[in-house]
Amino acid sequence: MNSGIDLQGSFIEALKELGLPSGVARAVWLPLPMLLMIIGATVGVLVVVWLERKISAAAQQRIGPEYAGPLGVLQPVADGIKLVFKEDVVTAKADRWLFTMGPVLVVVPVFLSYLIVPFGQNIVITDLNVGIFLWIALSSIAPIGLLMAGYASNNKYSLLGGLRAAAQSISYEIPLALSVLAIAMMSNSLSTVDIVQQQSGYGILGWNVWRQPVGFIIFWIAALAECERLPFDLPEAEEEIVAGYQTEYAGMKFALFYLGSYVNLVLSALVFAVLYLGGWEFIVPLDHVAEWLNMTGWVEVSTTTPWLQVITAALGITMTLLKAYFLVFLAILLRWTVPRVRIDQLLNLGWKFLLPVSLANLLITAALKLAFPVAFGG
Amino acid sequence: MFKILKQVQEYAKESVQAAKYIGQGLSVTFDHMRRRPITVQYPYEKLIPSERYRGRIHYEFDKCISCEVCVRVCPINLPVVDWEFDKKAKKKKLKHYSIDFGVCIFCGNCVEYCPTNCLSMTEEYELASYDRHELNYDNVALGRLPYKVTQDPMVTPLRELAYLPKGVMDPHDLPADSKRAGKRPEEILEETSSE
Repeated sequence: MNSGIDLQGSFIEALKELGLPSGVARAVWLPLPMLLMIIGATVGVLVVVWLERKISAAAQQRIGPEYAGPLGVLQPVADGIKLVFKEDVVTAKADRWLFTMGPVLVVVPVFLSYLIVPFGQNIVITDLNVGIFLWIALSSIAPIGLLMAGYASNNKYSLLGGLRAAAQSISYEIPLALSVLAIAMMSNSLSTVDIVQQQSGYGILGWNVWRQPVGFIIFWIAALAECERLPFDLPEAEEEIVAGYQTEYAGMKFALFYLGSYVNLVLSALVFAVLYLGGWEFIVPLDHVAEWLNMTGWVEVSTTTPWLQVITAALGITMTLLKAYFLVFLAILLRWTVPRVRIDQLLNLGWKFLLPVSLANLLITAALKLAFPVAFGG
Repeated sequence: MFKILKQVQEYAKESVQAAKYIGQGLSVTFDHMRRRPITVQYPYEKLIPSERYRGRIHYEFDKCISCEVCVRVCPINLPVVDWEFDKKAKKKKLKHYSIDFGVCIFCGNCVEYCPTNCLSMTEEYELASYDRHELNYDNVALGRLPYKVTQDPMVTPLRELAYLPKGVMDPHDLPADSKRAGKRPEEILEETSSE
C-alpha cells in the first residue's frame, strides 16, 4: 500500500534543491509541525468552547453567545483576552512556586500528547512505536499538577478538589489502559498509525467499534472521567467545593487550567476516534473507489496520483476531526443529561465495575484472537 | 455456585437497565435541541408586564388626605407621611410623603386600602441604582408617570405566555391584532349583562 502524501520528504527535498545542506533543511522543517499542532490544538479549543456554549444553550432552549462575531464565534477569543488582561493573584500564604508550576504541569503533557495523533498516513508529528503508551503515560502526569495546585493554594476546597482529582485519575487510568491494551493486542502494535492501518480496508465495517463494543464503552466512560467531564466532574463540583483546585486561580493561570481541560477533551476525542472509529479512514475504503474509477475508465488514477493524494489527505483530516467533534458533541449532550455521581459511586464504578469488565474484555479479546486470527488480528 | 451466577445475571440486567435509562435521557436532551429558544433578549426585548403586576408605586400628592392608612396596613410601617395640622383651615396639611423602595416588599396593601386612590401600582420594575439612598422616593419621584415598555422605541415588547393566541408559543412577529386565548374581561361582562 502506498503511504500517501509525504509533506516532510517533499519539503526537505525542495529545500535541498535550493542548495541547503540536508541537516539545515531538516532543522528548518522541525519546528513547523510542532507550531502547526499547537496552533491547531488552540483553535480546536476555541471551537470546542463555542460548541459547548451553543449546544448547552440549545439543550436548554436558550440562544447562547450571539453578539461577539457572527453567531458568537468570537466569544471564546473574547474570554481568552479578558483572562490574559486580568491581574495575576497569588494568595498570601500559598506556596508561590508550586502554585505556578501546577497549571504548567497540567497543560504541557496534554499538548505533548498531540505528538502521536495521526491525521493521515504521514500527517502525524512522530510515528512513535510506543505512541498510545506515551499518551497514557503523559496523561498520568496531569493529576500530579492538579494535586500540586490544590495543595499549594493553601485552601481547604482546593485541597479537597486536588485530592479528588488525583483519586479519580488514578482509579480510571487502569480500565482506560486495559481497554487500550485490548486494542493494542489486536493491532499487534502500540503505534497509532498501525492501529488505524489495522482497521482499514473494509470501510466502516472494519472499525474497532464492532470488534470491541465493550472496550468502546469502557474507554468512553474512563475518558470522560479523565477529562473531568460532567458525570465525573467532582474535582471542580461547584456546589460542593466552590471550584476545586481552581478556586484560588485567576487570570492567566486559570486560563491555563481552562485551556488544559478543553485540549484534553479534544485530545481524548481524537484518540478515541483513532482507536475505535478508524482514525482518518473514510466510511468506504478509498483504495477500492480508486480501483473502481480505473475499472470504469473515466479517469486514470493510481495511488501515486498527486491530486488523489491531496484529496485523500484532506479527507483524512476532515474525517478525523468529524469523528472527534461528534464525540465532543456526545460529551456535551451527556453533560446535560446525566447527574453528577458521588465520590463513593465514582470509585465503586471505577474499581468494581469498569476494572473487572475491562479485564474480562481483555481476556475475551485474547481468546478470540487465538480462535479467529483472521478477524482479530492474528 | 448457582447463587453467584444469579448475582452476575442480576448485575448484568441492572447495568443494561442503567444504560437504557441513560439512553432515554440522552434522547430527551437531544429532542430539546430542536425546540425554539424561549430567550427574551432583555435590554432589546422586554416582556409586557401583566395588568396586575405590582411594580413601583405611583402616588398623587394632591389626592392624599394624610390619613396614614397606608402606614398602618404596611407590614413594616414604611410610608413616611409628614403633615402638620393647619389650625386655620382645620385640616391636615401634607408637607412630604416618601416610600423607600429599598425596603418595600411590593405587597400592595397600601394601594389596596388607600381611601382616595392616590396610591397605585405601576408596571415599572427597573429601579436599580448605585446608591441605596436613591431608592428612597419622595413625593416628586413617586408622582412620575411610569415609563411603558410598549412606548420605548429601543425595545421590542413581547407578550407573556398567557397573552398569546391559542396554540402559539413564540411571542416574536405576532400579527398586531391577534387576540389572546380565552375571553377578555369586557367580553365576559357583556355576556353576563345580556343574559
